[in-house]
Amino acid sequence: MRIKSAKPTIVEADMTPMIDMTFQLIAFFMIVTNFEQTQADERIKLPTDRLARPPLQARETEVVLNIGFLRNSDGSKADPNAYIFYGGDPIPVLDYGPRLKREYELSKRQYGEEKAKDITVVIRADSDVPTGLVQELIKMGQESNFSKFALKAKSGEDGAE
Amino acid sequence: MKFRKHGGDGGGKVEVNMAAMIDVVFQLLIFFMLTLKILAPEGDFNINMPLGAVGTPDPTQTPPMDLKVTLQANEDGTLNQLFFGGRGLGNDFPACFERLNFEIAQVAGSGQATGEDIEVEIKPDYNLHYRYIVRAISACRGRMVGNKMITYIEKIKFAPIERPGG
Repeated sequence: MRIKSAKPTIVEADMTPMIDMTFQLIAFFMIVTNFEQTQADERIKLPTDRLARPPLQARETEVVLNIGFLRNSDGSKADPNAYIFYGGDPIPVLDYGPRLKREYELSKRQYGEEKAKDITVVIRADSDVPTGLVQELIKMGQESNFSKFALKAKSGEDGAE
Repeated sequence: MKFRKHGGDGGGKVEVNMAAMIDVVFQLLIFFMLTLKILAPEGDFNINMPLGAVGTPDPTQTPPMDLKVTLQANEDGTLNQLFFGGRGLGNDFPACFERLNFEIAQVAGSGQATGEDIEVEIKPDYNLHYRYIVRAISACRGRMVGNKMITYIEKIKFAPIERPGG
């Protein structure tokens, strides 16, 4: 009887489907990742409105101001006063004037006066922020030479927050 | 000249080492997974506000038809009363804003002036919550019919600030 000599066999797993899937996942995450809204602060609970639609043409330059409250982990207000969140620091709204002036001066130096005047100040305010503070902020913006203002809201069904 | 023979039996299979590529691909995948933030899309409303007191109007220009929307607030910042012109529209949120939208539609569609000639001035109380302002601006701006937006009025401005107690 002849016995076949058993050669050691290497089992090679077919990696092609896994690599295909991984590339598809990467493509998905690349598409859904939104790097543009990096200036949005998650502490702000924006009101929702059906008519709030993203602008058809993205603005070249804008200054985004986030006004909201310091909140506890359960979402309740830790402080009744509203603040502007600039980076990690909460700044009282009425103290923000000098920073807006500095922002305008920097924009003027960077883009020129013509373009600096065209910059839109986008205000992202929490639903519960007093409107008077939003008006104060617009007034401070006007005093710093900004002339265009926009108020943000979340797109969606009215009242869904 | 002697040529060296590659491989033992002619056409050998060249195997590319995929390990490095798979490593990089997984790292990319993890990066995108960790940086992903699911955010609802946001939109905005352009708004204007006159600086200080109202100046003398230019006699050469036709002044836009001015409509006034006043929002009075309770002490806690909720809506106390919504007025269009001098007429109260109630405070039953959100139905009062539906009524405002209807009134604005009547004015915009009456043919007295085109949407560009009409300007709405919104006068809120200082402590009124921002959510009511967004709703008032939206009611003045237009309405959605299906997925299409019908614009009533483009020009919306805030009245000068009225600080409490002065």
